[in-house]
Amino acid sequence: MLQIIKIEWLKVKNYRTFWVFIGLGLLAMLAPNFIIHDIFVKNIPKEAQQLLGQSMYDFPLVWQTVASVNSYTSGIFSLLVITLVSNEFNYKTHRQNVIDGWERRDFVLSKLFWVVALALLAFLTSLVAVLIFGGVYGKAPFSMEGSRFLGYYFLQVLVSLSLALLVGMLVKRTGLAIILFLGYIMFIEQILVSIVKRFFGNIGGLFPLQAGDELLPFPIVEKLVKFSGPYDSVIYLTALVAYIALFTWLVFRRMLRTDL
Amino acid sequence: MSTILSLNNISKRYGIVQALDGVSFDIPTGSVYGILGPNGSGKTTMLGIVTDVLKADAGSFTLMGQTPSAAQRRKIGTLLETPNFYHYLSAYKNLQIVANIKQTSEQDIPRVLELAGLVARQHSAFKTYSLGMKQRLAIAAAMLGDPEVLILDEPANGLDPVGIAEVRNLIRKLAQSGKTIIMASHLLDEVEKVCTHVAILRKGKLLGSGPVNAVLSRDNFIEIGGPDNQALTQLIKQHPAFVQVLPGQDGILQVTFRETIDPASLNSWCAQQGVWLNHLQMSRKSLETAFLELTNN
Repeated sequence: MLQIIKIEWLKVKNYRTFWVFIGLGLLAMLAPNFIIHDIFVKNIPKEAQQLLGQSMYDFPLVWQTVASVNSYTSGIFSLLVITLVSNEFNYKTHRQNVIDGWERRDFVLSKLFWVVALALLAFLTSLVAVLIFGGVYGKAPFSMEGSRFLGYYFLQVLVSLSLALLVGMLVKRTGLAIILFLGYIMFIEQILVSIVKRFFGNIGGLFPLQAGDELLPFPIVEKLVKFSGPYDSVIYLTALVAYIALFTWLVFRRMLRTDL
Repeated sequence: MSTILSLNNISKRYGIVQALDGVSFDIPTGSVYGILGPNGSGKTTMLGIVTDVLKADAGSFTLMGQTPSAAQRRKIGTLLETPNFYHYLSAYKNLQIVANIKQTSEQDIPRVLELAGLVARQHSAFKTYSLGMKQRLAIAAAMLGDPEVLILDEPANGLDPVGIAEVRNLIRKLAQSGKTIIMASHLLDEVEKVCTHVAILRKGKLLGSGPVNAVLSRDNFIEIGGPDNQALTQLIKQHPAFVQVLPGQDGILQVTFRETIDPASLNSWCAQQGVWLNHLQMSRKSLETAFLELTNN
């Protein structure tokens, strides 16, 4: 596996697009928290603040705030995964890697590495964001309470990245894959969720990205509108893990059987 | 002699096209094995199956006497179809990736770049390369780690005449050093100059395989010419070993005999019959002619 990671590193080390994506991704995880803080915390009337209780960037609420905000912006890493996968298909280097002496399994592992590595990067960046924003903006002392939200966030990012991996492997063409993926996360799933929720009830909340959203309601808004799902967290967590397993299995199945 | 590659009843279909139909043959160690066939005959499909980028519908094969796996592919230098590299990386960095996949030392990179004549441009991005340079880089990548077995699919593709001659010389040198070379080509000239063995494919079917002369029967014939070729034609038909006479180029006659004929004795026989030859040459049917005869049937 170390050999595979070294080779992946050689592929991206001098790839400018990769670093632009990473930079944008990190920015997208930190910057919105500044903005949200400005809008919801700094500029909110004192009376309203008292009604709401603690500030969104106070511990322990900051865990949920950062996880919830970042769950919207980490899609950038998914686009990076699609780019890295479809590059291989465009350049036909997925064939060449196998010809030169990778098992097909190694090729899948090399891309799964990015799924895990980028999810970890998103997780760690969010952790840093929690510490910074909780420390600088918050008035409450540090607390681990609510840190589970960051775990939920990690799982949701994994789902999103493995879905991107699957789309990249199936569609192969960069532009089309990105459009399909963005279309899905931006509105197709939302439409499906609404339809299923309307006709079949709460089960509509178990779509891949929705399951994560149900676990990561935006604090405060959650108090005004009932936002989080009706099922127990365990159900949503199981759904997330099941999706990761399913997408990974589909990717392996595809790559081990098909003509490259 | 041990076998590098042994194909057993390999079949592959793309929709309605039967790309390979029950192909079986063995490639002995140390041979220069030409896979011949017109465009679309299944050559690349066959090599694709051997390198695991394509999956056969039926049949099996062994590489170096073992069930094929990535471990064997790492010991084979392969150039399949088009050169596939990361466009944004330089030749050197692309070769670094290949070396790491092959688990061979990166220290071999300067040698193969020199071999391919790419030293001056080694730090330019692949996307800035001409077609010929891309092909050279693919050859360099195949040579990395000095593998004992090479699979070359149309190695002279996209090269200029100098490049083609260089590749041919390179293949000849590699063959002389005892390496096994499996080469697909539709350029018979290329094959004729270097191959010891051939397999001939047409529409996915194997027409024949084995040593070049056994597969493509190329009877020796003798070219003769005299002042009056009509008289010479009449005369030669009376030779005791005569089989057939065909008009060749420039009025020369191509004569086939039942047995090997010593040109000196033929010359003397004609002279005894009162005909003096002004042209006498032992010749051989070109591979191209033999190949066309075989594939057109």
